[in-house]
Amino acid sequence: MISNSIFMHPATLFILGALLLPVLKRVHISLQKVILVVIPILAIIQIYHLPESFGVTRYMGFDLIFGRVDKLTFVFLNVFTIMALIGSIYGLHVNESGQHIASYLYVAGSLGVTLCGDYLTLFIFWELMAVASTFLIWYRKKKRSIEAGYRYLLVHVAGGLILLAGIFLRYKNVGFEGLRFEQIAVDGETLADYLIMIGFMLNAAVPPIHAWLPDAYPEATVTGAVFMCAFTTKTAVYVLARAFPGFEILAIMGAVMTLYGVAYAVIENDARRILAYHIVSQVGYMVCGVGIGTAMAINGACAHAYAHILYKALLFMGVGAVLEMTGKSKLNELGGLYAKMPIALIFTVIGGIAISGFPLTSGFVSKSMIIAAAGEHHMVGIMIMLLAAAVGTFLSVGIKLPYFIWFGGKSTEESDIETKDAPWNMNLGMAMAAFFCIALGFKGHFFGFNWLYDMLPTPVTYDPYTTYHLSETMQLLGFTGFGFYLMVKILKPKPYMSLDLDWFYRKGARVFMWIASKPINAVNEFVDNVWKNIGIRFTMLVATFFSWFDKEAIDWVIDGSAKSVVSGGDQLRQIETGKIQQYIGFAVALLFMVLIAVVLAV
Amino acid sequence: MMAKLITYLRDHSQVLKYVFFAFLLFTIVFDYFAERHEPHFFGDTIIGFWSIFGTVVCLAMVVVFKGLYNNWLKQDEDYYDK
Repeated sequence: MISNSIFMHPATLFILGALLLPVLKRVHISLQKVILVVIPILAIIQIYHLPESFGVTRYMGFDLIFGRVDKLTFVFLNVFTIMALIGSIYGLHVNESGQHIASYLYVAGSLGVTLCGDYLTLFIFWELMAVASTFLIWYRKKKRSIEAGYRYLLVHVAGGLILLAGIFLRYKNVGFEGLRFEQIAVDGETLADYLIMIGFMLNAAVPPIHAWLPDAYPEATVTGAVFMCAFTTKTAVYVLARAFPGFEILAIMGAVMTLYGVAYAVIENDARRILAYHIVSQVGYMVCGVGIGTAMAINGACAHAYAHILYKALLFMGVGAVLEMTGKSKLNELGGLYAKMPIALIFTVIGGIAISGFPLTSGFVSKSMIIAAAGEHHMVGIMIMLLAAAVGTFLSVGIKLPYFIWFGGKSTEESDIETKDAPWNMNLGMAMAAFFCIALGFKGHFFGFNWLYDMLPTPVTYDPYTTYHLSETMQLLGFTGFGFYLMVKILKPKPYMSLDLDWFYRKGARVFMWIASKPINAVNEFVDNVWKNIGIRFTMLVATFFSWFDKEAIDWVIDGSAKSVVSGGDQLRQIETGKIQQYIGFAVALLFMVLIAVVLAV
Repeated sequence: MMAKLITYLRDHSQVLKYVFFAFLLFTIVFDYFAERHEPHFFGDTIIGFWSIFGTVVCLAMVVVFKGLYNNWLKQDEDYYDK
């Protein structure tokens, strides 16, 4: 039963793949590439054949549930496995097995979290994700990446501990039942639930605990960033949707997130950092959808997660191709690449229009569902914030990013970067993601294609293709383009970084180090001096007293043996003169005396 | 092929500009004919509201966020290494 369940779990496939990769690489490098494609394809097939519940094990008195499948789980499983395939194809040219192992374990962790039915299993896979993804940052092997990786790991370990504290508290409050990973009632929440929520929110990068994301993702490897942008935050969206639908705090924080992420995306210079900040913004829509909590909003959150994984990965792949080929990702150093990397340009623009929600792209059918859900739930303020963020999205990622990488007012002749389009496997990965970005945008009455909406947790009645919604979108996007046209000079990126809330722990760590090295060290030295001058003398005094007391008083009381041993030792010391002849002489004399004694005694 | 097409379009950016402005005009005209759902708030009843909203929000974002950036958030790239 259990052995069957293990092989039923799609995470097992990826863990097996991770184990096989280095072995097969030794046989032949192309075997590694075969495995990289075969494993995700098997996983895509496997998730269609999962029973509703599997892998229920008893361990040390706890029920661990490794597999629980319903419609909410399936949406995420589906997109995660598809994304694993696209990411693997994009990374095929990387020969280093370590990177692939890290990304496979990361995917396994993500699938494990999505499938698990109790908090203990969730926690195990949660930490697997954190650790595996850290290696995707470290494999860039630059000083900045190593440092960013450590910060990333520390933040996630802290978040994991908060989550664990919540789980323990829940277990203490409710018992075994509390460990089941189910929906938490809106009015029945306790401190334990809030701790769990904070743990989840950290992975969803909800401000003010979001800064790990734009800090770490731009420092990851080119292929690592493609994986990372898909899994951590969207797994967090899944667990929030599972446990906390309808918590209004999430709706408000999600709406704030959308604007916060967009603000930084508008001002940032590093292309991958723009995209990383923009994840914060996009995940904001999903968190907001979860917070609104109506059937339509949850559908919207799932649809948006599905669409977002594919177009954000496409954008990371496009920008990653530029970084791979030119070694540059800063907008102020790029520009004029349109004739040198046209394929990457086309794909990035497809990602850009999908994320902005152009009609006939995936963003149009997913994002609008959340906005409409906010409107129908009479949350007009939140609806306006989400629409404003949509304007910022098109401004920053839809126009600014491709414009300054591929054009930037420079012609190809003016750009001094020598490069060409990326290798075939990168282009194939981008093409697959681009296909989904367009295909998901066709809904129902377009060619009878309704892949995304049919998969959502509850039946969909929402229709994005109304004339008013089309009109609203065309105006919003068109006039955002007009705003960019007016403001292009002000938007010109400059070679600076921008402060964010990671300041508190990056500079705060420095304050901690200063306190440790200056005041605490000074106190330490002072105490040390006091100890040397007063403490040690006092101790010696006390010790001398006790030694005297022991020798004179206790010894006298008992039998005087100690004193006689001491005086005997003194006499012995006079005998021990260090000359070997004398020792031999004494030894012979002693032996002689013993012999006489024995003879006489007999 | 692709590169030539993009270069061609870039060389005729003036034409593209007028096409774009024509499109903007078209969106407002389209809005006049669009069938409206039950309004969520006052903006849903005004023709061309979203074009004003788009322009104002876009300009405000650039001004406010770039202002914050230039006066506060902007730091040297080795800021944390100093």
